[in-house]
Amino acid sequence: MSATLRPKKWIAGIRLAVVYTLLLALALFMMGPFLWLLSVSLMPGKNVFSNPPAILPTFIDFDNYVKVWQFMNFPKYIYNTVVITALGVIFNVILAALTAYPLATFRFKGRNLVFTLLIATMVIPSSTAMIVHYLTIQWLHLTGSFLGVVLPSAVSVFNIFLMRQTFLGIPSDIRDSGKMDGASEFRIWLQLVLPLVKPAIAVISLLEMMAFWNNFLWPIVVLDDPQKYPLAAALTFLNGQFSYNFGWIAAGTMISVIPIITVFLFTQRYYMEGIAGAVKG
Amino acid sequence: MKRWVWTESYTAWAFMAPGLALIAVFVFWPIIYGIPLSFTDYSVISETHYVGFDNFVTAFHDKNFLISLWNSLLYVIIVPIIQIISIMMAILVNGKIPGVKIFRTAYYIPVVTSMVAVALIWSWLLSNNGVVNFFLLKLGLINDQVAWLSTSSTALFVLMFITMWKGLGYYMMLYLAGLQGIPSDLYEAARVDGASRWRVIWSITIPLLRPHILFCTLISLMGAIRVFDEVYILTKGGPGTSTLTSSVYIFQKGLEQFNFGYASALGLIVSILVGVLSVLVFRFNQKGGVNPY
Repeated sequence: MSATLRPKKWIAGIRLAVVYTLLLALALFMMGPFLWLLSVSLMPGKNVFSNPPAILPTFIDFDNYVKVWQFMNFPKYIYNTVVITALGVIFNVILAALTAYPLATFRFKGRNLVFTLLIATMVIPSSTAMIVHYLTIQWLHLTGSFLGVVLPSAVSVFNIFLMRQTFLGIPSDIRDSGKMDGASEFRIWLQLVLPLVKPAIAVISLLEMMAFWNNFLWPIVVLDDPQKYPLAAALTFLNGQFSYNFGWIAAGTMISVIPIITVFLFTQRYYMEGIAGAVKG
Repeated sequence: MKRWVWTESYTAWAFMAPGLALIAVFVFWPIIYGIPLSFTDYSVISETHYVGFDNFVTAFHDKNFLISLWNSLLYVIIVPIIQIISIMMAILVNGKIPGVKIFRTAYYIPVVTSMVAVALIWSWLLSNNGVVNFFLLKLGLINDQVAWLSTSSTALFVLMFITMWKGLGYYMMLYLAGLQGIPSDLYEAARVDGASRWRVIWSITIPLLRPHILFCTLISLMGAIRVFDEVYILTKGGPGTSTLTSSVYIFQKGLEQFNFGYASALGLIVSILVGVLSVLVFRFNQKGGVNPY
């Protein structure tokens, strides 16, 4: 018995060792660049191009963070980013939930038409959307405003589908019982149905939070004044101006990256469910 | 009864009105308006004229546009590579071994960080005196420092590498979701029949992942052809035109030189190209027969 078991255990042990080696190597490949940036940001005066490269910090000093924080007016950029991101998330959640609700639960003429048109937009690619958006935003006199930054991506067909999928899973008795109590459709939606789809709302919030937080190009196109830039856009600016001051740029980049990574770490369960839900349906 | 049906549809449209209005303006309008725009010389500064097919004729004689199209097509090389690596990663993190969730999270970090940050890190790592050259020299893989992003023969491939590196975690999670949907008794049945690990992957896992492969291939294909951020931040199409992709060229023509008419024509050509390629992928994967959403 043990004679047959022992080699098997031995093989299983090797297999596990191989798996962990692979996992660790991959982790180094994916996380290494960030850890290296962190260590650069924590060592003021140390050259990024030192030989041998400094992978692990030999000393820790937050001087880069203090200096770049004072120089760059970070509170201003963080404020811009937070406002843009908050607006974007709120718009997306409310509009997706509103638009998807009748598509999932109402019977009305034109429902299939709306649905088909929405699907069509996902199939037809538009490579010049940004140009037309720019013209539209100009026409609406929204250039230079946060609303102009947010509006073109304030609602996404993807989110509507995600929301509709979730609404389909809600028993129709809930709407019926609300009606019996004489509640309006809007109140049923707001007070009875929305609390039941919190996970989907969380998913959309997270996906949009990351998208708006990281967006740099459209804000640069729409906002005329660099003082209104969100962090990601401001960083390209910093990078161009102080390409020699590696420590500052590294610290600035860490400041922009840490909030979103933190949010991701705390909410990853919802987040992962969300992107997995994209293929189902 | 009739009155009730009317009320319900009225309410339905009231619910959808704000969302549909924005979709009309920011999703439908660009698709529709881009077409007439591409037959004009609209450029903000001067009067707009209808120019027929001039923009399209110019486009096919525009050497830079043709180069940019070629570079975008070359970028598609990453699509199969992404699928292979991310499926293998998904299989690797699908095991129920302690700590595996930490690894999944670690692989996903590049996905959630901004391209601005990622591009910055890699531009340092890949510069002349950077970490990558240091290790490659140490290992004897190169004899001299290589300026990866400012050498025309390597720049495009380096950008492809960065695109891949940032996206792998995303595709891994999509495939992982697919793997976790495969009933485990299928694996057990295969094991009883004495199938090897590779045999199981090849005959059970891959065929059952087909809808996911189609979905991921389509997304990464569109991403590759329309690649913009990393190119724009890191090389702006250079050195020369070696990394000029179609999206970057369209952006330069449109929002930097304000040649809206011409840029729209270029965009239309690229859109048609993407459409054709997507249909090809669908055909190739027809048995999957799945609605990606």
